[in-house]
Amino acid sequence: MSELLQHAFNGLVNGSFYALLALGLSVIFGMLGVVNFAHGAFYMLGAFGAFILLSEANLGFWPALVIVPLVLGGLGMGLERVLVRRLVALDPLYNFLLTFGLTLILQDLLRMKYGSQAQPYPQPAGLGGSLNLGLFDYPAYQVFVLGFSVLVSLGAWLLLARTRIGMIVRAATERPELTRALGINVGRWISPVFGVGIALAGLSGVLAAPMRAVSPLMGADLIILVFAVVVIGGLGSIFGSVAAGFLIGMLQALGNVYVPGLATTSVFIVMAIVLLWRPAGLFGREETAV
Amino acid sequence: MTALAFRKLAAMPRLWRLVGLLAGLLIALALPWFIYPPVAMDIIAWALFAVALDLLLGFTGLLSFGHAAFWGSAAYTAGVIAIKTGAPFPVAILGAAVVAMVLAVPIALLAVRSTGIYFAMVTLAFAQMVYYVANQWRSLTGGENGLQGIPKNLFGLDLSDPFYFYYAGLPIALIGLLIAWRVVHSPFGRVLVAIRENPARSRSLGYPVDRYKVMIFVISAGLSGLAGGLYAVSHGFASLQEVYWTTSGKVVIMTVLGGIGTLWGSTIGAALIVEVEDYVATSGIHIGPLNITGPGLIAGLIFVVVVLLFRRGVWGTVAHLLRRRRDVPEPHLSGTAPDVAEHEPAVAQKP
Amino acid sequence: MRRNLIPAISALAVVSLLAACGGGAGGPSGGGGKISDDKIVLGVLNDQTGIYSELSGPNAVKAVQMAVDDFKAKHADDAVTKNIEVVVADHQNKPEIANTKAQEMYDRQKADIILDVPTSSAALAVAGVALAKKKLYINISGATTELTGDKCNKYTFHWAYDTYMLANGTGTTVTEAGAKKWYIVYPDYAFGQDMKKSFTAAIQAAGGQVVGEKASEFPNTSGDFSSQLLQAPAAKPDVLGTMHAGGELVNLVKQYNQFKLKDKGIALSVGLMFITDIHSLGPDALAGTKFTDAWYWNFDKQNRDWADKFKEKTGSRPSFAHAANYSAAMNYLEAVQAAGTDASDDVVKNLEGKEINDVFLRHGKVRAEDHSVIHDVYLAEVKPKSEVKEDYDYEKILTTIPADKAFKPLSENTCKMG
Repeated sequence: MSELLQHAFNGLVNGSFYALLALGLSVIFGMLGVVNFAHGAFYMLGAFGAFILLSEANLGFWPALVIVPLVLGGLGMGLERVLVRRLVALDPLYNFLLTFGLTLILQDLLRMKYGSQAQPYPQPAGLGGSLNLGLFDYPAYQVFVLGFSVLVSLGAWLLLARTRIGMIVRAATERPELTRALGINVGRWISPVFGVGIALAGLSGVLAAPMRAVSPLMGADLIILVFAVVVIGGLGSIFGSVAAGFLIGMLQALGNVYVPGLATTSVFIVMAIVLLWRPAGLFGREETAV
Repeated sequence: MTALAFRKLAAMPRLWRLVGLLAGLLIALALPWFIYPPVAMDIIAWALFAVALDLLLGFTGLLSFGHAAFWGSAAYTAGVIAIKTGAPFPVAILGAAVVAMVLAVPIALLAVRSTGIYFAMVTLAFAQMVYYVANQWRSLTGGENGLQGIPKNLFGLDLSDPFYFYYAGLPIALIGLLIAWRVVHSPFGRVLVAIRENPARSRSLGYPVDRYKVMIFVISAGLSGLAGGLYAVSHGFASLQEVYWTTSGKVVIMTVLGGIGTLWGSTIGAALIVEVEDYVATSGIHIGPLNITGPGLIAGLIFVVVVLLFRRGVWGTVAHLLRRRRDVPEPHLSGTAPDVAEHEPAVAQKP
Repeated sequence: MRRNLIPAISALAVVSLLAACGGGAGGPSGGGGKISDDKIVLGVLNDQTGIYSELSGPNAVKAVQMAVDDFKAKHADDAVTKNIEVVVADHQNKPEIANTKAQEMYDRQKADIILDVPTSSAALAVAGVALAKKKLYINISGATTELTGDKCNKYTFHWAYDTYMLANGTGTTVTEAGAKKWYIVYPDYAFGQDMKKSFTAAIQAAGGQVVGEKASEFPNTSGDFSSQLLQAPAAKPDVLGTMHAGGELVNLVKQYNQFKLKDKGIALSVGLMFITDIHSLGPDALAGTKFTDAWYWNFDKQNRDWADKFKEKTGSRPSFAHAANYSAAMNYLEAVQAAGTDASDDVVKNLEGKEINDVFLRHGKVRAEDHSVIHDVYLAEVKPKSEVKEDYDYEKILTTIPADKAFKPLSENTCKMG
């Protein structure tokens, strides 16, 4: 039994990455109507950012956790201003294609500079041991990742549900014209929100660096799983994305134990089932299904 | 070629239309004399694939980001049929196209429940599922190693020289292109354009929109299958690459580069991308100290530039320059015209 | 009128442009001579920019060039020909690209031999092309035993290592050294399954026991191996054998360290490891890990001298693949020299059965039955960072495994050379 719990816990840890990535993706979609294919590439940039900070500036994990998301967030805002904004008026598919192209560019640029080999990145000192969680031992770092992700998700929810800024963002998302008519400057929030979404992707990248191989293609297959996660959770729903992220993480972990070859396939099967039963996703709203 | 343009086309002298098509045919026939024959065959296969995608993207307004599922499953099927039964390769390719269509039915039925960007994401996810299954089904697909040694059987004729195989395989692609052309120039094709422009109105006129979408999806998958089967036999090889999402992305680039909704533009897009990739792989591009050897970078740049500046694609841009004098509406993705600057997306994608 | 014609003409213009780039290599293909086309062309087909680019990559091309230069210097005017070219192509580890590029190299660039080709699927694809074109192919960086087994052919040689040698080397020696109980974790695809099978056989033959085995999904999208690793301690193994490669190996080792399995008494043994992997993970992450290496640059003076020359040309230390490429190219050229022609059948006849001792092959022999080139290999252990005195000085060689023990014995031969 404790083994099962251990695996489930494992799944939650993996789900943290899905949750954070899905959160960022949802936030960007909610505000701009843009599905950011490059989200996986920014996750990769987050991990590389941590690596570069360590190898060039000798800054460890904790500074990286703060600096990298900020820098990437800024980069995201710049990207939105220069590129994404031009296509927002058109069919969202154009922006999807744009971000797809960006993904290819970013991945290849990193690959040309650093090669495809995984870069070394050590675990942060202080989180090296394991914790006794009652029923089983677990590496401290993984526990930290889970806890931190939950905190960030809660923070995002609080921000959106309880603050004035959040209220504006939500209003702008659901009724942009009406919000504008009420005199609120919606436009000035678009870039920052996009930046926050990207920053979240970068954050998960930094969290992943000690645990995963830091290579240019680390986000490539992951992004498609994240798409499945948001389809399952419901693209417009913040809560849905996060919940689905953790759920899918657990599904994969348990799948790895019981049906090793088909763990990832089962995620897509679940997606198919959800689409049949609830086209808007588990927590999505009906309009999004159209 | 929108509904309006179609009418104008029908009124035009058919002689010139014929000349245009003939020119294309001549190029196709002469290609292996100028270009290394296996690459020429690649261009033809990808051209058919891109045209198949354009049926969905340009004419019906549905972006499928998972078409590799059909190209790839057909590649494997053609290989398996050719190896196991020794049947003539056109039979293998035909069988492959049928399998692709069968695979397309459930995917289409599930995918058309969503529209726009959801549709793209859903098709992408399903294609990945096909990839993982192909990976697991090692006994059939060879898994990582791929399916090797696909023969080019044709009643004992020796087609080992790719130059001769090109002429043996070309008719199949031409038939596929003919089918695509026929679909577009038909009442069915006109309904598709109507669905792209305004699905709600089409529905209110009594057309079963979802059923039409499924039908064109399956047709597109079948043609993609034809292309994929041809590709596999040409290379003597089918691999996981054929079902991977980058292949789905590549064919989308080709269609967008060529010009969405122009049908023949996709063939040019395909030719350009295949040639550029071949060039980069062979010699790389050197800009000062930068040595660009990655196909991803080039493809990505092309994508970004085309999406930002040349949304009409090659063919579309040329046609647009001519159209300026004639004032004819142009093809575009569902709900928006590239000319209009500030415009709310037609379908409510936002939650 | 113009609507269809001008696009058609622009299409024609585009195609002419393409044709110009197409290399004008159209038309049906042709034939050869005594030294075909009056030159020897060595083709190096490998991964120039991806995961194996450091293992062989561009430096393998330099190694082959070193061989060409040394050959020319050795034979001077007696050389069978002075026109020796090296051509390169990148297969990006994809079998379909390898398939196409191999055909191009043989046809378009008139290659007489193709060298290197990492990634088993690509390696097998090229073998098929070599047979079809009846031209030589010496594989160096691919691991699959099928090259000298079910998929063997007259023109294909396997020069440096294969999964059998790895499994036998590591599995046997580690078990004999006392680690009797193994827990094997492997990626669920052809390579992983082969490795697992070979390792299991070797372990059992050495008196050991596989107490547990777990597959991991391939490719492992989540990068997570916790499920497999967490289940290991329950089976109480002495050693965890991982059959993963590249990025997956890196992930697994990171997590192995995180879960502190070493402290629980479970040592780590890696089926397939290259010196470049040690560089990626850092020696401390892998300290103490035992694995089989086909060649180590710092093993003896002969290796070190060559490694120094290599360093002058490339700026870094050679992996086994670099040395093997040098050896294969050199021996090919010597075979052409001896046969007096680069006609494939004559060169093959010269190579078959040859015993070779050079910088890479110690007690080497080119087996005629399956074209597997056997040679001495080494059981190595990763040094902890404190013992690493210079760059890439990561390995401590524990024992030498003699050629006839290292590779698959002929009694198990499944090759039927046509």
